[in-house]
Amino acid sequence: MEERPCAILLKFPGTNCDAETARALETVGFEARIVPVSDLTINTLEDAALVVLSGGFSYGDYVKSGRLAKLVTQQKIADALREFRDNGGFLLGICNGFQILTELDLLPEASLVENTSGRYQCQWVTLENKAPESPFLSQLPETFEFPIAHAEGRLVTKTEEDAKALVENGFAALTYADPVNGSFQQIAALQDETGHVFGLMPHPERFLYKTDHYDPDWESDDKWGSGYYLFRSLYDSIS
Amino acid sequence: MSESLLEQIAEAPADHYRRLKISDLDGDTLLELSQFMKLSLSREDMLAVQEIYREWNREPTDVELEVIAQTWSEHCKHRIFGATIEHSVDGNSETVESLFTTYIRDVSERIFATKPGFVLSAFHDNAGFIRLDEHLAICLKAETHNHPSAIEPYAGANTGIGGVIRDILGAGKGAKPIASLDVFCFGAPDTTTDNIKADDVIHPLGVLRGVVRGVRDYGNRMGIPTVSGAIQFDDSYIYNPLVFCGTAGVISIKDIDKQMSAGLKVIAVGGRTGRDGLHGATFSSAALDTDSHEEDQQAVQIGNPIEEKKAADFVLGARDAGLIEFVTDCGAGGFSSACGEMLEECGGVIDLDSAPLKEPGLVSWEIFISESQERMVLAVKEESLPELQRLADLYETEMTVLGESDGSGILKVTHHGETVCELDCSKLHEAPTRHLTAHWNKKTSPVDSPKLDDPGKTLQNLLGDFAVVSREPIIREYDHEVQGNTVLKPLAGASGDAPQDAAVMRIDGSDKLMAMGLSILPEWGKTDPYAMGAACVDECIRHLILAGSNPDKIAILDNFCVGNPEDDEELGALVETVKGIAAAAEAYGAPFVSGKDSFYNYFETNEGPVSIPTTILISGMGVVESIDHVRGSSIRRDDSILVMVGTTTPELGGSVFARQSGLDSAEVPSTDFDAAMESYRRFHKATESGLVLSGHDVSEGGLAVTLAEMGFSGKAGVEIDLAALPVSGEIDKASILFGESPSRLVLEIAPENLEKVADIFEGVPFGAIGRTTTEKDVLRVEWGKEMLMVESLSDLKAIWKNGLAQYY
Repeated sequence: MEERPCAILLKFPGTNCDAETARALETVGFEARIVPVSDLTINTLEDAALVVLSGGFSYGDYVKSGRLAKLVTQQKIADALREFRDNGGFLLGICNGFQILTELDLLPEASLVENTSGRYQCQWVTLENKAPESPFLSQLPETFEFPIAHAEGRLVTKTEEDAKALVENGFAALTYADPVNGSFQQIAALQDETGHVFGLMPHPERFLYKTDHYDPDWESDDKWGSGYYLFRSLYDSIS
Repeated sequence: MSESLLEQIAEAPADHYRRLKISDLDGDTLLELSQFMKLSLSREDMLAVQEIYREWNREPTDVELEVIAQTWSEHCKHRIFGATIEHSVDGNSETVESLFTTYIRDVSERIFATKPGFVLSAFHDNAGFIRLDEHLAICLKAETHNHPSAIEPYAGANTGIGGVIRDILGAGKGAKPIASLDVFCFGAPDTTTDNIKADDVIHPLGVLRGVVRGVRDYGNRMGIPTVSGAIQFDDSYIYNPLVFCGTAGVISIKDIDKQMSAGLKVIAVGGRTGRDGLHGATFSSAALDTDSHEEDQQAVQIGNPIEEKKAADFVLGARDAGLIEFVTDCGAGGFSSACGEMLEECGGVIDLDSAPLKEPGLVSWEIFISESQERMVLAVKEESLPELQRLADLYETEMTVLGESDGSGILKVTHHGETVCELDCSKLHEAPTRHLTAHWNKKTSPVDSPKLDDPGKTLQNLLGDFAVVSREPIIREYDHEVQGNTVLKPLAGASGDAPQDAAVMRIDGSDKLMAMGLSILPEWGKTDPYAMGAACVDECIRHLILAGSNPDKIAILDNFCVGNPEDDEELGALVETVKGIAAAAEAYGAPFVSGKDSFYNYFETNEGPVSIPTTILISGMGVVESIDHVRGSSIRRDDSILVMVGTTTPELGGSVFARQSGLDSAEVPSTDFDAAMESYRRFHKATESGLVLSGHDVSEGGLAVTLAEMGFSGKAGVEIDLAALPVSGEIDKASILFGESPSRLVLEIAPENLEKVADIFEGVPFGAIGRTTTEKDVLRVEWGKEMLMVESLSDLKAIWKNGLAQYY
């Protein structure tokens, strides 16, 4: 059997989207390994083509989202994630994982803070694909829907100008079509300058199948939902 | 009794436990002792305890009394459901020997016998299991957390959901929690403060916000989708809000059966034990008053969902590795209940010195009965300990060996080298049978239907009623999609915000799915509790079937909340409710697999005691054979035919319309079980044949609300002529539009399939009542030649969507 590219999913206490994210990765062809952070060492990343930080509430997120996960990661493997990227590895952060990647300074400077509604928001949103050349988005159309589920997904930068620069320079890979959470420039996802590090607040793993959509008449040519094509794009660019 | 009197009867007082000389005390003093120690044991119970110890020829320790109090508490033992009740209905007397045995267990066992291999476990484990497919089983459990939520809404609801999740983790050898439901009964959000007749009662809006956030912060962090729910608003819930939390789980069938044996190690996993949560079980077996808000704070705790998440990862990992012989959760009664359940037959020794504590200085009984959250107790083979410790380290949770099983039949507890408890477990579970009296007299009478001047305006009022308005502001605060399996979401349809009848979850590793539904209709029970019971079972099953469930593969749960069981009429309402659910369950072939009850939901206000109306929550799970059977409740085409299945009857009692119109005593509709089940079977057949586009039931607000809600998908307008509506008896506009007679479905059918569908429903009340149109914003309803209403669907939707949002 052909060797499948390996995806490592880091699991912090409170990470809770790892199983369905692993399912999505396996579905498109990855070998997915969930690694609790207590087991994390520099060697963990050795065979990996992709490291995924999946959604949840790492350490409860009672302090700023992702802060404790960042400290533990740095303590365990220092700058290994950066080296992993420099050696051509891919990094994907979803929801809480995006918050952690941001804390780790692996993405352009931005913060994810409380939604302007002051509420947790579980709903579907329309996204605009601003980086169709991204290895994560190449098979997704100009606009598509994913669900979001977060209380702290409002992307802010030091000034609104900085957010505009993120859009103009191609770092803002996805934007919300509507102002759902107060993000500057309605930014929903960021990529780094290599295109190998990608973080998004919406949950592609929750739209793996067509039947995950809220509308039973959602149109699709096959059995897959839009989330499938994010993972598929990535798989195709890695393998 | 004061502390000094307790000292008097204490013999050889040690620092950490006391032996109490009770053998010579009279009934009054025993009762005083029970009250002072907050045991919630009656005089009769205390005399029974005294008798047991006289037989044993020794005196109890305080630890033993606490253990017996926990075990015999209403919360743990359901003694009212086991009581002998002299009951009379409209003057006809009967004796009920145990409501549980007669109406729940025996009824269910008769149903089990007709469906071999369907129910895999019921009543004895933490949750009941039904077969999903060849390899997998699903389970559901619901609990109430009323008293803690009254006193501290956030923490009460938080630990309520945390507790029921642990029930699932402790079901079988550890089931995986996959979905939660929550149901609340509160005072209305717009209650004015002068309507609250007691001090220190939290305003209903405060309770609502606190409870929702409590459920949100626990469920979301645990990564378990909260997919299903309901809220009822009524003044009688101002003092005693009700909070039901339920969780469903999935397990391999081979992991359902768990056995204790001698020589196993008993281990505790998860959080540490502290003084928080003392007397939760006995506290919830007593009424509330203003003082409760100060005195009983000790019984309420704050949850720590990440602690529980780590323990959950550990339990599921250990189960998959085959390392668990027995597991149960630490809920009410803490270690005493968990170890008691585990060791009741086998016997064993628990050493309290090994229990990890949050703070030093806890005495023996505190450690043993503390209900500190996030703890699980397992029995494992000694040789598995190293691998279990590795898993505990991996998931960063604390694991401790507490003791071992020994086959002696004796529950022995040691602390600081002394035996502080030594009980014959078989004696622990024999509480005295209670003897109670109950009565119920018919409370309904014929009323004149009110004149309906402007049905459209009435529909607007109903859509804005708290009983009907969209729960969206709450639903969006719950992560209802985590785990990526929520196929039918609480809000769906083409616009993603229209109401659905039940939730459907995909199950990893199976082609089959699980539907989760529920019903709660306390307004019906105020005048006709039997009809309420029957209608609740009907509605729950109706929802499950509309969501695609196989009518032969449904199991249900009964969760009761009652005011004062010593009040004959309140108990009578309970007896009638139980009879109603039992009759319905038997007729539908839907067995009860688990249930729970909560009593003493009354409050001493400045103007006397206020009880809740007898309230039953029926929740249920159904097996959906194929994802193609999941349809949803929202209109999908603009050229469809709308049909009504089921008969519309004239009774208005219990309806939201009757309540708005002040028709308090109107007759409540009865449920024709056989006719209903026939309709549901035909519906399922039509669904299997792929002939139904969507379907929504008629419930709160009646047919007009159903039609509006179906139209909230925004796909099409709705044009109705009620001439072909199947009705019974003399009926008027109000009953047709707003009556809530049960067992009715409105289905959307493609025109080319109408004939086939009509054939399937041959012999069942069935009528084509209208069509969907390209006039997307228009709801038009005629009855023969009379135009009843022409309404804008978007305006109606705005009323419906804003009803709760403006308060929440």
